[in-house]
Amino acid sequence: MPPVETSARFRTGRIALYLTLTAISLVMIVPFVWMLLTSVKTPGDIAAVPPRLFPTEWAFGNYADALRAAPFATYARNSFVIAASHTVLNVVIASMAGYALARLRFRGSSLIFLAFVGALMIPTYTKILPEFLIVRFMPLFGGNDITGQGGTGWLDTWWALIIPGAVSPFSVFLFRQFYLDLPVELEEAARLDGLSELGIYARIMTPLVKPAFITVALLTFEGSWNNFLWPLLVTKSDSLRVIQVGLSVFRTENDTQWAFLMAGTTLATVPMVVLFLIGQRYFVQGFATAGIK
Amino acid sequence: MSGTMVSTRDRVRAAASGPSAPPPRRRGLLRARRRAGLLMVAPAVLHALIWIGIPLVAAIVLSFTSYDVLTPPRFIGLENFRDLLSDSVFRRAVLNTSIYTFFTVPVAMGISLLIALMLNTQLAGRAIFRTAIFIPQVTATIAVALVWLWIYDPRSGLANAVLSFLGLDGPAWLSSTDWAMPAVIVVGIWQGIGLKMLIYLAALQSLPTELYEAASVDGASKFRQFFSLTLPLLRPATFFVFVTSVIGAFQSFDQVYILTDGGPANSTTMMTYEIYKSAFREFRMGYACAQSLVLFALLLFLTLLNRRITGGDRATR
Repeated sequence: MPPVETSARFRTGRIALYLTLTAISLVMIVPFVWMLLTSVKTPGDIAAVPPRLFPTEWAFGNYADALRAAPFATYARNSFVIAASHTVLNVVIASMAGYALARLRFRGSSLIFLAFVGALMIPTYTKILPEFLIVRFMPLFGGNDITGQGGTGWLDTWWALIIPGAVSPFSVFLFRQFYLDLPVELEEAARLDGLSELGIYARIMTPLVKPAFITVALLTFEGSWNNFLWPLLVTKSDSLRVIQVGLSVFRTENDTQWAFLMAGTTLATVPMVVLFLIGQRYFVQGFATAGIK
Repeated sequence: MSGTMVSTRDRVRAAASGPSAPPPRRRGLLRARRRAGLLMVAPAVLHALIWIGIPLVAAIVLSFTSYDVLTPPRFIGLENFRDLLSDSVFRRAVLNTSIYTFFTVPVAMGISLLIALMLNTQLAGRAIFRTAIFIPQVTATIAVALVWLWIYDPRSGLANAVLSFLGLDGPAWLSSTDWAMPAVIVVGIWQGIGLKMLIYLAALQSLPTELYEAASVDGASKFRQFFSLTLPLLRPATFFVFVTSVIGAFQSFDQVYILTDGGPANSTTMMTYEIYKSAFREFRMGYACAQSLVLFALLLFLTLLNRRITGGDRATR
């Protein structure tokens, strides 16, 4: 750094920069702090005008009360089961497809790739209603006959929550990009050693794209945990409700119980924030890669 | 081992040199590769056919019908689309979606770029700032919206507390036809900044430093460097951020569902919200499909238009 830069003007600029960034960061973080602090306030503190930042009395019992008022533990477990299933299915199926599209030439492969890219452009809201109808009229499930009539199909079942989200075209796309960059020599050498194509994928190439796996896994888990409308549409029973839907229902049923609501919201938020902090490098890399490539 | 390598190369050359059939072993390998490729892509293709292909075709077909789930669909031609033209609430939803997108995309992009530029300096604690700004992005919109619902509470919320501290009288944010939309937009900007900032930051960090050194030597000011170098070089990133953000903004649903339910007086209803309402509250499935196709058409139009204007995503891969 040249010595001129340590001038007073430079130092003022630095201070301004830090102040601005601190202010922005505060604006981003304050709602979370507010959520955490509200979740341990008594009704009296919550109703206080003007509102107090810190509770006068720390009501940690709100969490136990919230868990009694609504089965948040069950909701969280359901969300976890769904997000974990989506992650495993997506990583396995999408990586295979991404690998095949990146490295194996076969009839129709470029057409299939184009179709996946096209699928990225179809809005969720154009698909969601027919998807709902497919679930509703799934033949031979939930009392439906072979034509899909008579029962409720996959509605209110794990099938509806897990299967439609099992593979996303975006994951296929992302995996393909990662597999494209691997050297051809590796593949050729393995082939000459008599390894099968599936073996080359599973034992040679895939271990080299571990970051891709972690990226897709984190993004899938996050998307699935945060999903709201689909689980809202396809489930009715409390035992299958996911945490985001549980929260939204809690709002309309207990309009004013902010402390419980914020306790539940904290329970729904903290796992994702912790996962983000642990996997930050990959989250950031994944989002950035998706953005640049 | 090296002998095998040479012979493989010969075979490849032979296969490439003319239409004559490749030797049997080579053909067997190619067939195995093709079969493996099809096999590996099959589950994903099957899934996409059922959950993307069929729904898309079904949406188009159903948009020409009147369908309430309980009785079979009835073909009504273009009636749904004619009704759409005279549906003032849907028109309002299109307008609201456009306003929301206009403010949450370009405005947030500007802010994100500024933050990215600030963070793209030698700075202690850069990771902490980046993390703080990115966290709203990984948090569920439902959770985020519930917290903001509380912030916007007119009596005990944080927003009006801050305003009254400044000596101002805050509005009843979410129940005011004037303020509900701005309130929803603020949440959209707040949540979306992190991702845009991150993509810009990644793009900034991959810019060639030599160009800047050369520009400095030539005496170009920082200001000049930004407009003549940085902005043009960021074009692929800008294209990507813009397209994905517009697609995202056009499909916002969760925050409206929690914050305002489309109200007051339809002042915050969005296209997605109208689709949801037609389909799952009024059970007008055919009409909802027609609405969803309008959404699709608008997104497609905007994407193609942007590709045209910015010269496309040539440089993005």
